[in-house]
Amino acid sequence: MRDPDILVIGGGPAGMSAALEAARSGLAVELVEQRESLGGAIYRQPIEGVQVIPQSAGARGRWAALSQAFSKAAIPVRFGSVFLGVDGHGYVLVENRQNGLVECLSPRAVVLATGAVEHVHPRPGWQFAGVSTAGGLQVMMKETGTAPRGSVLLAGSGPLLIAVAAQMARLGNPPLAIVESGDPYRRIMPGLSMLGFPKLLAEALGYLKDIHLHRIPWLRGSRLVRIERQGERFSAVVRAGDGSQSTFVCDRIGLHDGIRPNDYGLPQASSEAAAGPVILRAGDCREALGAIAAEADGRRAGRLAIQGVAASAADDIGKIDRQRRAQALLARLFAPVDDRSALDELADDTLLCRCEGKTVGDLRNLCQRVDSLTGREVKHNGRFAMGACQGRFCAANTAALMARFKPEAPASSAADLTGRRWPVRPVSIGALVRAASRDNDTQ
Amino acid sequence: MQTRTPSTVIVVGSGIVGAATAYFLAKRGVAVQLLDATAPAAEATGAADGAVSVASKRPGPMMQAALAGVELYRNLAKAGLFADVFKSRSTFIVASSDEECSVLTSHADALAGAGVRVERLGAAMLRERFPALSSNAMMAVEVHDEGHAIGYQIVHRLLTASGTIVARRTPVEGLVRASGGSRVVAVATPQGNLQADAVVIAAGNGSGKLLGLEQILTPRKGQLLITERVPPLNAAMAGSIMSGRYLLSKGSQPAGNGKPARGLGLVIDPLSTGQFLIGGTREDHGDRQTNDIDAVSRILADAVALVPELAAVRLLRSFAGVRTAVTDGLPLVGRIPGLENAYVATGFEGDGICLGPITGKVMSELVCGESPCIDIAPFNPARFDGLGVAA
Repeated sequence: MRDPDILVIGGGPAGMSAALEAARSGLAVELVEQRESLGGAIYRQPIEGVQVIPQSAGARGRWAALSQAFSKAAIPVRFGSVFLGVDGHGYVLVENRQNGLVECLSPRAVVLATGAVEHVHPRPGWQFAGVSTAGGLQVMMKETGTAPRGSVLLAGSGPLLIAVAAQMARLGNPPLAIVESGDPYRRIMPGLSMLGFPKLLAEALGYLKDIHLHRIPWLRGSRLVRIERQGERFSAVVRAGDGSQSTFVCDRIGLHDGIRPNDYGLPQASSEAAAGPVILRAGDCREALGAIAAEADGRRAGRLAIQGVAASAADDIGKIDRQRRAQALLARLFAPVDDRSALDELADDTLLCRCEGKTVGDLRNLCQRVDSLTGREVKHNGRFAMGACQGRFCAANTAALMARFKPEAPASSAADLTGRRWPVRPVSIGALVRAASRDNDTQ
Repeated sequence: MQTRTPSTVIVVGSGIVGAATAYFLAKRGVAVQLLDATAPAAEATGAADGAVSVASKRPGPMMQAALAGVELYRNLAKAGLFADVFKSRSTFIVASSDEECSVLTSHADALAGAGVRVERLGAAMLRERFPALSSNAMMAVEVHDEGHAIGYQIVHRLLTASGTIVARRTPVEGLVRASGGSRVVAVATPQGNLQADAVVIAAGNGSGKLLGLEQILTPRKGQLLITERVPPLNAAMAGSIMSGRYLLSKGSQPAGNGKPARGLGLVIDPLSTGQFLIGGTREDHGDRQTNDIDAVSRILADAVALVPELAAVRLLRSFAGVRTAVTDGLPLVGRIPGLENAYVATGFEGDGICLGPITGKVMSELVCGESPCIDIAPFNPARFDGLGVAA
């Protein structure tokens, strides 16, 4: 087996641009993608025979340029392959789901570009089947070209909610309403500052136009406080800024409270190859700033991977800085109107860890002890971040709640709870047994 | 030797031994300060396989201690303290070769001779009792009355029940003696000297530097694996499975080619969550940060060879811990030579979960001037010459 010089994990904009940049050096570059097509979540490609849903002109243009350059460079891609981690001897472990083998690769550098995950705050009833993330609904639309069926309520905060609503409307099933805890119309300063980002602004205005055309209620300054089952359907209780409550009966609910790096269990970035490859992170898994920054960050990482040392790439850094400012502005624009966190008033029986069935009250009890438990102790004794999702659903919320319940304790991060152990995704024991150990082939 | 109960005791290390010592002292009304360099169960206790077992023991002091250790777990479970954190189950030692069968047969005789309830299961009987087992299994010995406990849960329970608050991030840098005397008056920490009437060191590998035991204590790494929940397969397992090869491989074999020695054993334990815990390695070094695919795939290959259905189960996590081993294979339990009111309890290697609570009880008895409830003479630290104290 010949190892690539540089292995890139993830076929979204960050991974593709990292691979492109690295390949310019003439080094052998390969890309690992868990699905059967490139694009990542942002440029998710439709399954065969499906009509593409219209994306914004900017996104279409960026994808066309990136995918053309990538095809031209003829970089080998391992499709249907899942990154499991870097083992103690420096091997990069990749599960090949096409042949059921775990492959042990030994590149000189590995660029992790695993993207972002959606952040969702816990809410009573958020665990019901039929309640998903809004981004999950969007990816489904990109793949299938059809809107989710039935009456759908979108809730949470951020620009993605209006994008999903507009796309649903274009596919013929606009959502019942968008429940938005912020109110961008009342945030005058950040709103004006968005003029400095005309592409983002144009994209947002395009979505708002559709929402207006289809008369989708955009309930700003409101929160979805509770989801209850009502037969086959849900009743969703929404509280407006003035405290008044209303109830929506719907078939599905899409939640979204922002995005964060998909860095669960990932090995730490290193720039010195002590016992294994140089490890770099690129794109949203390093800092969740969206597709434009991810592409620039991928180029930066690709160059670093070539050099194996820190170097500055002024034009890319400039692009990333600009997107960081844009994201900070959006966060201010969509800041909750009532200045409270969604975590402030959760009832004790609200489910926090969906895998192990642990509640907000379970965590509160642990935090009420006289001594301050570490993240690892909370994990062990509360079973948070221990389930099959490996902390993707609860680790960040648990860490944030720990800080609220016990502000005087040393702060724990999501990574303190999840740890950094492979496999970063559950993997079948059969595939691991078939892993070709290479510990004896390099003597 | 001290003849009366001290009013204050410092326990250094909040692994299972330190937490149990604190628990039994607190029950006697002693004011205990429990110190830890990091946090409770942060080292070997938090990464142990959790066997509460005599199954792999040979007749001798360790078997006697393990029998008392298992009995104490049963009693504390009955009393409620460990009610939901101790899982009672059998251990099945499985032989799949003629060599393993013959070692296992004599091992079973030795266990029976020591009063352990064992049962020999031939191939047909085994198939009936344990349908998930591979047809490679030739025979098994069922060791009754054993169990499983998760180290960090036991520590949490002991601390909670005794109301013990752990001083975290409080490393002990030395023992402070009364001028010229053999009496320890305090322990030195970065936060200053902390005084007590007696001191118990239960700091695992950290005890080495503190007591000048670096030549006697060695770190021994173990890698362990956890699967997803598979309730039907889990329920179909009548107990934990230990490969008969474990009896052959206990103690590390040199690997040659300049790499640290590494031994592989196989234990498959059905946890009460519906998951399986699968282990493990014995490696002569102290890096607990990593798991390697070579060890993991070999352990899992052995596991699938015994329980074929595991091939379709997903692995959720790998982790590693570092046991504290003593060069002669026996722990250090007793008064520190040359000091009248300082004690050590460490070096349990892979038996810390089984022996932790009973050792805590023994330490509380020693500290209070009573004779211990089990024979700890073979574990006396004084068996090593030149055991010194960095003061």
